[in-house]
Amino acid sequence: MDAIFRPRSVAVYGASRNPAKLGHRLLRNVLGGGFEGEVTAVNPAGGEVLGLATVPGLERPVDLALISVPAVFAEAAVVDAARAGCAAAIVLASGFGETGAAGREVESRMAARARAACMRLVGPNCMGAVSRSATGFFNGSYFWRLPQRPGNISLVSQSGAFGGMFLAESRRRGLGLARFLSVGNSAEVVETDALEWLAQDAATEVIGLFVEAFKQGRRFVEVARACPKPVVVLKAGRLGAGARAAASHTGSLVGSRGAVEAAFQRAGIIESVTSDDFFDSLQVLSARRRTAGRRIAIVTISGGPSVLAADAAERAGLELAPLAAKTVTELRRLAPSFAATGNPIDLTPQCPPDGFQPALRAVFSDPAVEGVVAVNCGLDVQEFGLGLAQAQGETGKPVTAFLLDVPRIEQQLRSAGLPVLPSPERAVAAYAALVPP
Amino acid sequence: MRALNEWESKLLLGELPKPRETLTRTLSEALVFSASVAGPVVAKAVGLAHKSDRGAVVLDADLSACWQRLAGLGDGSVLVAEQVRGELELVAGGLRDAQFGPVLTIGLGGVAAEVFRDVAFLLSPTEPGELEKATARLLSAPLFRGWRGRPPVNLGALGSILAAIGVLLEADPKVSEVDVNPILIRDGQPLVLDALVVKDS
Repeated sequence: MDAIFRPRSVAVYGASRNPAKLGHRLLRNVLGGGFEGEVTAVNPAGGEVLGLATVPGLERPVDLALISVPAVFAEAAVVDAARAGCAAAIVLASGFGETGAAGREVESRMAARARAACMRLVGPNCMGAVSRSATGFFNGSYFWRLPQRPGNISLVSQSGAFGGMFLAESRRRGLGLARFLSVGNSAEVVETDALEWLAQDAATEVIGLFVEAFKQGRRFVEVARACPKPVVVLKAGRLGAGARAAASHTGSLVGSRGAVEAAFQRAGIIESVTSDDFFDSLQVLSARRRTAGRRIAIVTISGGPSVLAADAAERAGLELAPLAAKTVTELRRLAPSFAATGNPIDLTPQCPPDGFQPALRAVFSDPAVEGVVAVNCGLDVQEFGLGLAQAQGETGKPVTAFLLDVPRIEQQLRSAGLPVLPSPERAVAAYAALVPP
Repeated sequence: MRALNEWESKLLLGELPKPRETLTRTLSEALVFSASVAGPVVAKAVGLAHKSDRGAVVLDADLSACWQRLAGLGDGSVLVAEQVRGELELVAGGLRDAQFGPVLTIGLGGVAAEVFRDVAFLLSPTEPGELEKATARLLSAPLFRGWRGRPPVNLGALGSILAAIGVLLEADPKVSEVDVNPILIRDGQPLVLDALVVKDS
């Protein structure tokens, strides 16, 4: 598996001179990223591609063979890579198990040939791998737009298109990527193999999985449970796939949902129901460890949205911490007389700007408060942002925020590495992902 | 798929806490059993599904009046049992999931089971503490803890019923689904009133 995420040498089968071909893009991606190892272009037609002389087949082994050829030639490419002694191959080509029985047969033959040669095989029908390197990313995928920066989030996806969503969302939110693997039809390497490798990977601190169906369910549970890092799963197809003619109450009650729920409970999975949830959880977990407490304070200058946050907190199993008398006295001293000093704490837009820093410090320092959700709609005073970042830094208590039309504060929080979410409810739900079960 | 009858299903599940009950093949057998029971008895036809919807369960049974009819509705035998009351009805079950293997359910039972769908799911075999956590997640968790002065549900005894379901799923690959519904809770103790085992044919 090392060869998949940290190859020192790569071969691209199907390296085409035609820029419209996927094989051309793949070679361009491999050459264009931060990959410093040796690259071999394989093309039986010969000639030169992107400054590399092509070879008809491999003479010497490489760590990783990327196979982007028409389906009919894929098996021959796998055989060539296996014969040369490659450690791993990723078959990006499509037209196998997803097309029917004949395709499934070719797919299992490729897997068998790889196994016989002790070569790991990813795919077929996948988008490839992206992985941090010393100087940026090794891009062994069809994707040409990657996240701006390396980071600590890793994703394993059974869907190539969802991988594209993840990379786009990472760019939009400025999230840092460690490893990405599209497992496609999972003829040999399955999602759990990747999870097992990522669990011990020093660059990975939080792991996301997009799964439609688990290939080795019980093994997944054991590997996820043993994983010392948070594992966030977005399981698609909650209803459709499991629709069965139930002969018993149990059958109709379990549906396809029950088994997944049971498995995730045992494995300690952070489950996301929507893609928004999923990206929100990865975002907050990449910023800090999963050690938050359930008792929070909601601090705001915006009444209505903070009530929505309070409602969401109840739904998420969080509690609004009762504030100490000392904290309330301090808040009364700093905020206008009509401010709400319960919880949610509404300091109001009329709060003098120099009151925000001490008020936020008082809230964060309250011993009953284990974390904070901040809500600010439209009051872009820098003391609010500074106060949040300072109080968070001093106490180490986790915070998530919903901000609207406050570009200065947003900038302050982002540079302090504090997660900003797009709605009050999502700020609360993202906080809840930080709470261990 | 083949649904086993209540008696066969209970036999497969082994030693479970049940009311005193017996399978009778004649009215006189039924009368002998009923004479040995202090209180009222319930009589059930054997070998048909949705028994209560089809008039196949008679409470406070006058056996002389109903035995023949029940025998005719089912396979010719009648299950006669001590009639018990309790404070709560639960449902337990198990099935084989394509991705995760044997899975168990526990939740609110009786006629409300499929309306409220208040059930939790566990991988089989369960591990220590999992049943406690699963029942604590239910909407009806307060009923499990003992509601309005009633005793709490004995989770150890409930766990033994779930374990029996899990053992059956492990032991016989043809068993695809198991229902134990209802489980009557009387003074906190579970009693299995009905069971259904479904096998792949």
